[in-house]
Amino acid sequence: MIIEMNSIRKSFGSNDVLKDVSLSLEGGEICALLGENGAGKSTLMNILGGVHQMDQGSITIDGKSQQFSTPAQSQEAGIAFIHQELNLINDLPIYENMFLGREIKTKRGSLDLERMFQETKEMFEKMNVDLDPKTMVRDLDSSYKQIVEICRAMMTNASIIIMDEPTTSLTDREIERVFTMMKTMKDHNVGIIFISHKLNEVLQVCDRYLVLRDGNLVAEGNVSEVTTNDLAHFMVGYNVRTESLLREKELGEEVLSVEALTYNHTFKDINFSVKAGEVVGVTGLLGDGRSELFQSIFGADDISSGKIYLNEKEVKITSTTQAINEGIAYLPRNRKENAIIGDMDIMENASIVTWPKFSKRGVIDQKKQQDTFEKQRKTLRLKMGKLTDSITSLSGGNQQKVVLAKWLASNPKLLILDNPTQGVDVGAKEDIYDIILKLADENIAIVVLSSEAHEIIRVCDRALVMYHGVIQGEVKKETMNEHNIMSLATGGQLT
Amino acid sequence: MEMKPVNNTSLKNNKNFFAWFKYKWSNEPLFSTAIALIIMVILQTLVLGFDYDSVGSWFQSWTNNWINILRNNAGIGIVALGMTFVIMTGGIDLAVGSTLVATGAFAMLLLDTGTRGLLGMVGMSGLPAFVVTVILVLLFGYLLGSLIGVSITKGKVPPFIATLAAMMIFRSVTQHFTQGYNTTVPAEFLQIASFRMGDYMIMPIIYWAIIAYILYYVSKRTTFGRQIIAVGSNERAAKLSGVNVEKVKVRVYALMGLLVSIAAIIQVSRIGSMDFSNAGRGMEMDAIAAAVVGGTSMSGGRGFILGTVYGMLIIAVMNNLLNLFGVPPFLREAFKGLIVIAAVLLQKKEKTS
Repeated sequence: MIIEMNSIRKSFGSNDVLKDVSLSLEGGEICALLGENGAGKSTLMNILGGVHQMDQGSITIDGKSQQFSTPAQSQEAGIAFIHQELNLINDLPIYENMFLGREIKTKRGSLDLERMFQETKEMFEKMNVDLDPKTMVRDLDSSYKQIVEICRAMMTNASIIIMDEPTTSLTDREIERVFTMMKTMKDHNVGIIFISHKLNEVLQVCDRYLVLRDGNLVAEGNVSEVTTNDLAHFMVGYNVRTESLLREKELGEEVLSVEALTYNHTFKDINFSVKAGEVVGVTGLLGDGRSELFQSIFGADDISSGKIYLNEKEVKITSTTQAINEGIAYLPRNRKENAIIGDMDIMENASIVTWPKFSKRGVIDQKKQQDTFEKQRKTLRLKMGKLTDSITSLSGGNQQKVVLAKWLASNPKLLILDNPTQGVDVGAKEDIYDIILKLADENIAIVVLSSEAHEIIRVCDRALVMYHGVIQGEVKKETMNEHNIMSLATGGQLT
Repeated sequence: MEMKPVNNTSLKNNKNFFAWFKYKWSNEPLFSTAIALIIMVILQTLVLGFDYDSVGSWFQSWTNNWINILRNNAGIGIVALGMTFVIMTGGIDLAVGSTLVATGAFAMLLLDTGTRGLLGMVGMSGLPAFVVTVILVLLFGYLLGSLIGVSITKGKVPPFIATLAAMMIFRSVTQHFTQGYNTTVPAEFLQIASFRMGDYMIMPIIYWAIIAYILYYVSKRTTFGRQIIAVGSNERAAKLSGVNVEKVKVRVYALMGLLVSIAAIIQVSRIGSMDFSNAGRGMEMDAIAAAVVGGTSMSGGRGFILGTVYGMLIIAVMNNLLNLFGVPPFLREAFKGLIVIAAVLLQKKEKTS
């Protein structure tokens, strides 16, 4: 099977999203589709998936011309689109999810659970998946959910599978699992289009790459001939720095220290401290408890025992409101669920934290809010339209900058950044690194939580590595490398 | 890119109004509601007819009709405003009808000129008694609302369940404690709602307007008002932005109770009595309907105080029209249902286009 998209053009209103883009894919091939947010990747894939219609161009499968005006037609032609938000029902077992929307029925019209179970089992055996089809989807981790979706696509005899950033929320071990699955699919002669921001993964798993920038195809070729640096260069159009951004500096007073902090089984006996002007990284694999730890310090969740000191004075933080008054800021992970308020505009999302501070007798001082935000906007290099535009009209990177702006407006002395570059494109990532270092220069104590070791290495003075709720060890600047971090994160020791 | 200027010039030539209208229609949620209201009012004016001796007497009759509509809907209109806030936090309050009865009964027990009058027992009467009554009743409403709010936040009871329980409890307890007693409210107290300005009895309308204005301002300009939207739109994100979610919710239900107690005072002072087994029945549904017609989203976050006023008026004018057309009373609820569906369909179209 060969699929070809030729000279695809698409515009939304006056905005030309795709300008003459071509793509071809054979069965048994994994092709990476790269590009910054807004480069046109999603639009191109949505055209292939039948969600959008192209303005010009053609799609052929095995030489036959195809027109997809609905997702159903695309699926019928053997194309499966696995979206970032998975389409699984948590409260149904795997095998019922496998047949969602095309359930097998008995003669009397009731569900033929027995056969659905059997067919799922056969598919799992064929794909070397070690899962009990009767497991509830709720009990699966994200990687297995991906795998279930992939198997479901395979069941509909899909010969092309589009995977939209499948590894974003996965840990390294889970990513390995999905990659193994992808290789199995390859052996079954399925073609895969792999959309990702993680360039290391592209080198690891893909055969070919295709890079879009501003709706143009700017580069394509074999993955074996390029480095991650080359790919990053293609994506942004200029050279991307990869060297460590750190420099020597004097550290100030101790801002935060915790003693024997414990919460049930999520984290146990945590001790560490952060000084003014210091950037401390906290990393680990999924389930390490780092987000939970810092959400508890921020007052969003409880603590069962232990002490928290701010500027060497003990505090008991019982609410996020109090934490903010104490000078703590927390930029959460998973922006869409935890940070973005969809019904409010850009200005409001950027000022929600400081409403109480910038108000008199409960009435918000609009002018003060705006002045503060205007200043942030420049330092953050935020690209946006009107203040009253919807927050969701911005790209991921700019949304993240708005979230950052709301925290900077509160003048924190301790800034906790949980996965600050999640779902952010390469250019905005660099901006965020710059901002982190600039804030450290302004003597703010900064904690960066990240699952990406290279990110920690680039911006942090030292790193705490967590493993199953305990701090497994600390890596100093001199010994900071991916190998050391990984051996601690997997429960080992530094050698 | 070449298309853009062409579009612009054609817009400027003759499609100006339509382009403006289309833009407003699809971008401003209140616009379609306002248009619907205007159409209803025009229709109502036409149906009333112009069969009068003079313009003056036509205007007189038109005005009287409107004052009746507004006054009859002032109480429920005030309740609907509070309901809008409640729904915006992602909650619902089914207990408003029962809270109305509870606070109304409390007012009457305080004021009773017979042997059971609580204020009479301590020797209070006249204006001081009225002031104390109003304050105590408002406090009582606020307290009942807070109780509901606390059971929802601290007790983690879903709003539907908590207010369903409160709906049963408040009315039943009120009926138990008021059975067999006839209370009489002093005639002067009735002035609160029945005071005439010139020829017009418009006090309830004035209360409604003032409260609507205050709540509109609260929703647009205050920390509390904006935090309501944040909580309803994304509770977790609001919490992680330092919003005290529980406090906001308790205050919203407390405000609801307070507004219901105002409606109760208006009702008691309009007719001097209250039927504790039937007053306020179905009030929650009417209030929800007004909010929904006004564009408030049942899933929380999106909501408009002004929209709820429009929504209330649309339903009220429609009732008036059905009355004028002589539609049988039992069928009127059906029309209300149709209006609600139509409003939601309209708003849904906006979102997707």
